[in-house]
Amino acid sequence: MDFSGLLCILGFSVQNGFPAKIAVIFINIIVVVAVILLHVTYAPYFERKLIAHMQVRLGPMRVGFHGLLQPIADVVKLFFKEDTVPATDFKMVFAIAPVIAVFATMSSLAVIPFFSTFYIANLNIGLLYILALSAVATYGIIMAGWASNSKYAFLGGLRSAAQLISYEVSLGLSLVGVMIMSGSLNFIDIVEAQHVHWYGMYLVPQFLGYFVFILAAFAETNRSPFDMPEAENELVAGYFIEYSGMRFALFFLSEYVAMIVMSSVAVLCFWGGWTVPPIIISAVPLLAVVPGIIWFILKVYFHLFLFFWVRATLPRYRYDYLMRLGWKVLIPLALTNIVVTSIIKYLS
Amino acid sequence: MTTVKGLLNRIFLIEILKGMALTFRMMCSRAVTRQYPIEKRETFPGSRGMHAFVRDMKTGKEKCIMCMRCANSCPSHCIYITKKKREEDGKQYLAQFDIEALRCIYCGYCVEVCPVCALVLTEEYEYSAGSREELYFTREKLLQNWDDFAAKQKGDTYFNKFWRPEGLDPSKMFKVKREQGPVALRDTGSLPDVHLGPEDKETK
Repeated sequence: MDFSGLLCILGFSVQNGFPAKIAVIFINIIVVVAVILLHVTYAPYFERKLIAHMQVRLGPMRVGFHGLLQPIADVVKLFFKEDTVPATDFKMVFAIAPVIAVFATMSSLAVIPFFSTFYIANLNIGLLYILALSAVATYGIIMAGWASNSKYAFLGGLRSAAQLISYEVSLGLSLVGVMIMSGSLNFIDIVEAQHVHWYGMYLVPQFLGYFVFILAAFAETNRSPFDMPEAENELVAGYFIEYSGMRFALFFLSEYVAMIVMSSVAVLCFWGGWTVPPIIISAVPLLAVVPGIIWFILKVYFHLFLFFWVRATLPRYRYDYLMRLGWKVLIPLALTNIVVTSIIKYLS
Repeated sequence: MTTVKGLLNRIFLIEILKGMALTFRMMCSRAVTRQYPIEKRETFPGSRGMHAFVRDMKTGKEKCIMCMRCANSCPSHCIYITKKKREEDGKQYLAQFDIEALRCIYCGYCVEVCPVCALVLTEEYEYSAGSREELYFTREKLLQNWDDFAAKQKGDTYFNKFWRPEGLDPSKMFKVKREQGPVALRDTGSLPDVHLGPEDKETK
């Protein structure tokens, strides 16, 4: 593909090899978005199936073999749903809120390296970028709650704001340990820094950080047991109660992409990304043949499974417990982790 | 009071891990779901379903003696019985026996109270209909229900446990009810040696 003409119009000076790079990035974006959208379509299916089997039920069984075509039926249904807008003074805000949510979570995918040579952007501040965008996604939720002109949606939005303040802090602090150990905010550097150790994963020295990160990630993605903003039993559906059709689907998309992004960050920062710990490689040399992308996908799937598994097991936290856990447990734990990691780093 | 064990349990989230182990074990076990229209479950004998009049194989008609016990005992008053006097000999006959199935609460009192075991709630439970009229069972429809039910049954005889209610002293029952055995479902030529209802079917 030759984008030189287009780029000249846009005012770029075309250098040698520049259009080719752009083309590669475009292709990468298309591949990543297509693969992620496919995953997002089927994630609810696996969630329903897993939770059903954990509750000794069968889950979707009717559409296709074992309900395999259920997600497609759902998507088609969502496309043809009526798009309703409530009587509100903030129609513009109402319209852009789901777009912001999707924009923020989808953009997070840009800096995630799926293996050492496949990424959209190799950003030096990748980790910071993801933290920033995950905070922006919450704006979509707050705006949706505000603009819906409904007390349920409004309460959902407020809860989301409070949750953001409580858990964004511990989410960031839990990753500081990783930053100290690897000395970088670049995901590829972080993964390579893990690979030099015999254990090959920061999960081992940073178990405390990992624990805090997972809890904070659950809260950040509004997943059970911290799904306060959309608590079905009390707020009906929380912030997206007034949304229907494709706008509703956008929130859904945003939630599942956020889960995939958080799982990827957990894998990259704590599980060694696409690498296998050297100690395992030396024990079973055959594993070195398996391409990195397989390891990465398996690790991400495990984390998605963890999200669903926890949802099937735990009841929702009470709101004040949620706040107490955030401020009184997770933040002190994360700070302790940082102090201990810094001291060890300084001494060695 | 927090013991050391309790504190350790809280730090290592023992309860949560136990719960997650349980859900994981359940995931590996077999689901208990029955996929209803595809897999149908055998009904339990005596489960109360569609109403029917037992067709007497000797007379080919119902066994009702118009005692009105079922209509009087019905909690939802959904049984309508009309007796009429025949002009030529002054005998009473059953002019109307209707059950409004949509109002029925399937308590089975009518079956228990019937002195001649004429009425039965069969084990047939799939009889949804598109209109109210279809679920208004007249005498003919009740007999038809019995024929349909009998055609589906495997054996030649049938006995409903509510014909002889448990916990009642049999000596206080009517003779016919006390001696009621399995009824013939179809005319096999050699009818089983069962009591087929009262001889004096029409009361004076």
